[in-house]
Amino acid sequence: MSNISKIQLINLTKTYPSPAGDVTALENIDLTIPDGSVFGIIGLSGAGKSTLVRCINLLERPTSGQVLIDGEDITKLPKKKLLRLRRNIGMIFQGFNLLEQRTVEANVRFPLELDRIPRDKANARVAELLEMVGLSDKAKSYPSQLSGGQKQRVAIARALATNPKYVLCDEATSALDPTTTESILGLIKDINKKLGVTVVVITHEMRVVESICTHVAVIDNSRIAEVGLVSEVFSFPQSEIAKQLIIPNLIRSLSGGEGTKLRLVFNGEGTDEPIISALAMECRVAANILYADTKNIDGKTFGHMVITVPEETTAKVKEFLDAHNVSYKEE
Amino acid sequence: MSTLFTQLWQNGGFWVGVGETLYMTVASALLAYVIGLPLGVILVITDSDGLTPVVWLNKILSILVNILRSIPFIILMVALIPFSRAILGTSIGNGAMILMLVVASAPYVARMVESSLKEVDKGIVEAARSMGANTFQIIWKVYLPEAKPSLIVGAVISTVTILGYSAMSGTIAGGGLGSIAVTQARPSNAQDVIWLCVALMVVIVQIIQEVGMFVARKVDKRRRTNKKIKQSKNNNSDSNGNAETTDDNGKNSANNAATI
Repeated sequence: MSNISKIQLINLTKTYPSPAGDVTALENIDLTIPDGSVFGIIGLSGAGKSTLVRCINLLERPTSGQVLIDGEDITKLPKKKLLRLRRNIGMIFQGFNLLEQRTVEANVRFPLELDRIPRDKANARVAELLEMVGLSDKAKSYPSQLSGGQKQRVAIARALATNPKYVLCDEATSALDPTTTESILGLIKDINKKLGVTVVVITHEMRVVESICTHVAVIDNSRIAEVGLVSEVFSFPQSEIAKQLIIPNLIRSLSGGEGTKLRLVFNGEGTDEPIISALAMECRVAANILYADTKNIDGKTFGHMVITVPEETTAKVKEFLDAHNVSYKEE
Repeated sequence: MSTLFTQLWQNGGFWVGVGETLYMTVASALLAYVIGLPLGVILVITDSDGLTPVVWLNKILSILVNILRSIPFIILMVALIPFSRAILGTSIGNGAMILMLVVASAPYVARMVESSLKEVDKGIVEAARSMGANTFQIIWKVYLPEAKPSLIVGAVISTVTILGYSAMSGTIAGGGLGSIAVTQARPSNAQDVIWLCVALMVVIVQIIQEVGMFVARKVDKRRRTNKKIKQSKNNNSDSNGNAETTDDNGKNSANNAATI
């Protein structure tokens, strides 16, 4: 294998016994998380995404299947080696899960204590980490004195203390307000870029995937419905669940009506000329906009637009769109 | 004033009683924790959703604890007389009383410890597991320190309970304020002696309770800020009306505290 360094889930299944029979949380999951990626796993609540991420560090044991980390099946590791391996996989949580009776610095030092790192060395590392997450002045504070965003920064510092190669984020921003979410996501992105840490992000929020992920897997009913690069999956979602998650209003706009419906996809590659007015002027086709959700980022347009055009002009319109380098899909 | 009262007052009998009661209570509480604390920890970690589930062991210990706890102390004491003779060679005196108190209170302490540890947020335990902590480290570095305030409150309640038991055990094995009130004062109906014993017990309980709760509050690092905000609000409400912002600004709350 050319690139052995990654997380691989092979045919993973997890069922829970219950009085009413076994409940399936995950079914035949196959997933490869490439090194250096920020890998989003998105799904509705109850889809199995939290169980999935816990299978990566074996907080939950899969009923069957393999979890390969850097090529090694960790489900077969003896307990001691598994505990050691977990130090290479940091994890942050929705509820922060800080030790309430420890100061901020003692929280960040916790994984180093587990590792029996000498005090002075550990303290130096803690100072470095707190500096990185911008909380040096809170070192002696207790978690109850911090805001949600600050707590999550402490949790991130703690997760990074042992220099892990992987970080798992379980709904890390779901308990935070939009502004704080943005700053935490920025920090996670930074970590990925600067430290080269592979990040797995579990979320039910589209904007989280949108703003930091390179890859995304859509999970629905215990199965992977769709997986790929964010740019691909977001532009052309194939599965019903992906469409529902990514462009919920779009689905409604697609039902009923006359004419040919075309969904234009802007992924920052096309020109920034006003495409609808150009269409009207050049082709003399009056397009009706049913839905539009586009935004301008760094002068490039991203998003979706659904238009209807009279059926007889469809070919002409498609030709025009091809010429102008606009991706589209007939719906 | 009864002759017994005068007699006990003059020969310092009351103070001997107080001393014996305190000695029995403290010694029994300590020994009860030596047994009850590990037992409580085992009850928590061997539970079916615990760190290392051992369901059969958990069941057996749980049943044993329940049996001991369901026997009224006064009956348990009588039942333990042969046991005390076998182990200590006697069934009277402070040693025998401590033995009985420990047998009766260790299961109680175990349940107290169990419930304190179960209050620890499961998420924190999960976080520790995700960092590669082993079972021993999770007990030592997560469960016990995180549950510390609750454990102290539990210890206060247990100690007060043991104090009450010690008065009862005094009637059989002798010693302490309970023995003075029941075996010495009651036959001669020395009401003044009985009521002084009651008053002394009340004072002892109050001291244990207040000191214990003070320590529990002192070691608890949760919601510190809120308390300070509340206090500063009461004392100094006009100069610092904006309490919501204090959460994001530790300095602000420190200033508030300084003004109290």
